[in-house]
Amino acid sequence: MKKQSRIILLFLVPFLIVIFLFSIFIYFTVSDYSEDYLFKLLEARANKVAKERFEGQKNLIDTEDPDKLPHERDFFIPINNKKSFFEESKEVGIHERFFTDVIKRGEAQFVTKDYLYKGIKYKTNKGDYIVITVAENYFEINQAENLIKTLLFAIAAAFLLLLYIALYFSKNIFKPISAITEKVKEISSENLHLRLNEDNANEELYELSSTFNDMLDRIETSFETQNNFISNASHELRTPLTAIIGETDVVLSKPRQTNEYIESLKIILQEAEKLDNKTKALLFLAQTGFNGKTQKFEKIRIDQLLWDVKENLDILNSKNRIHLDMELLPENPLKLKVSGNTQLLHLAFSNIISNGCKYSNYDHVTVSIGASDDNVYIVIKDKGIGIPENEIKYIYDPFFRASNTKNYEGYGIGLPLTRNIIRMHNGKLLVTSIENQGTTVQITLPSIKSVN
Amino acid sequence: MRKTILIPTDFTVTSLNTLKAVLNNNPSDTTLDIILLHGITSSDSIRDLLFFSKMKQIESLSSDEFEEAYEVLCNKFDSQINSFKIDLFSGYNQAAFNSYIKTNKIEKIFISNGKQKLSNRKSFDLGRFIRKSPVEVITINTDKTSTITEKGEITEVFLKQVSIG
Repeated sequence: MKKQSRIILLFLVPFLIVIFLFSIFIYFTVSDYSEDYLFKLLEARANKVAKERFEGQKNLIDTEDPDKLPHERDFFIPINNKKSFFEESKEVGIHERFFTDVIKRGEAQFVTKDYLYKGIKYKTNKGDYIVITVAENYFEINQAENLIKTLLFAIAAAFLLLLYIALYFSKNIFKPISAITEKVKEISSENLHLRLNEDNANEELYELSSTFNDMLDRIETSFETQNNFISNASHELRTPLTAIIGETDVVLSKPRQTNEYIESLKIILQEAEKLDNKTKALLFLAQTGFNGKTQKFEKIRIDQLLWDVKENLDILNSKNRIHLDMELLPENPLKLKVSGNTQLLHLAFSNIISNGCKYSNYDHVTVSIGASDDNVYIVIKDKGIGIPENEIKYIYDPFFRASNTKNYEGYGIGLPLTRNIIRMHNGKLLVTSIENQGTTVQITLPSIKSVN
Repeated sequence: MRKTILIPTDFTVTSLNTLKAVLNNNPSDTTLDIILLHGITSSDSIRDLLFFSKMKQIESLSSDEFEEAYEVLCNKFDSQINSFKIDLFSGYNQAAFNSYIKTNKIEKIFISNGKQKLSNRKSFDLGRFIRKSPVEVITINTDKTSTITEKGEITEVFLKQVSIG
């Protein structure tokens, strides 16, 4: 209600001010115009009356003249080098200065509340005269009141009309908004599947609610991802733990030989190492996922980094067949420089390339490098098992593993981690794949602008 | 030695493979002036002609991927490329095409045996003019076995194997 009355006020006040100013303007324009008009009439009258009087076309002035203005009175005052017009001024009823003004400028006018005075200097062969015509201030007396009344009535009518419109608007404008507010209030983490109604009657509100819905979509997905992540992570961490606990339980159930102990301790160690690897990977994922920590960035030559990665992977597994394709290597090595963190990028490329090796059963993996003026492109192509088409959208979910990877070891952390790293470097990661034919990963990193 | 060559383009990354093949097989002592030519009929409307800008039209036809891909190629073969430009041809007949070739001093034309993919309604295939042109025309075999998923991405230019035949 408070909001509504504020809207009404906001609506009314400026309109009223405008209308009020308008009325004042109209009043003064009309009054000015009619006064002007009356003075012109008076001047004409004065000339006519003087002509009649002094040139003797008519003898009797007092007889009814059809042109006579309402309440008209005429005065003829000779100017015989008189110093003072005291008496005349008393007779006519105006200030003395009026007479001197007429003599000086040839004419003068004066307004009182009820009368308009117009004086002109008239030359006859008998000498100069001041002719003063006085008439009723017709506008002030007859029309002003009427005009004010009309204007006030108009203001009042406009006010009422505006009030009605403002009420109507404030009610109807806020109706859908309050509906949206109500609906949004209903949505909480419990019922994220709820959505706002998107009726496209109102363009802006439609946009608003569809934006809300988009946001809800994103929130829902991230909620789900998080839920999945937690359940997956705990499951992943529990598997080795269960193995350790089971193994220890079995061993402790009765006294055993030394080599049996050694055997089971080995198994325990193996499982603990797995656990360690998983937690490490998780830690890395968490670290790269947040932007809070700033990593040290330096200038890196991508080809050098890739050679390092290849060397490293070759040492780790001699079955790897990684082929670095330098066919499109730019002639200008400066174009291969990117700003980044060596360890992180190393990790990212190792991940992608070793994945390629692993899932293609150590077939050829081609790594091509190229550079445009703004970006460095790294394309990694394998001929492995690929990713099923309907699962490709989940590949960045932590712990997600495609349905065809049952025979391969892995935790499903590598790709999300790589994506995080590439993102930190403002790069792009694009994965295209055909099941059983191979996967192509295209990584784009912005290069350092060569200073000219 | 300096040579001016012409390659028809449809502003797809696929079409750049012709350029890649040409550059790959270019002897290192020859520098090339490359013209990528696209056939498009110009508008009849006086308003369109008044505000016509070749640069703007080329910009609207090409995509980011295309630009990045030819930059990759140009960076690779920097020393062999003397000049590189993308041009539009909007002539209607053989004579117009022949005179285009003459004014630009084009010595060789390379075309791909693949079919052009013309996205714009006004674009047309330059093939029929090229085949009857007075200069040497060389056809390039583009490999068709490449997987379809990478269509339109820059990856295509990295992976496609092409040969001059």
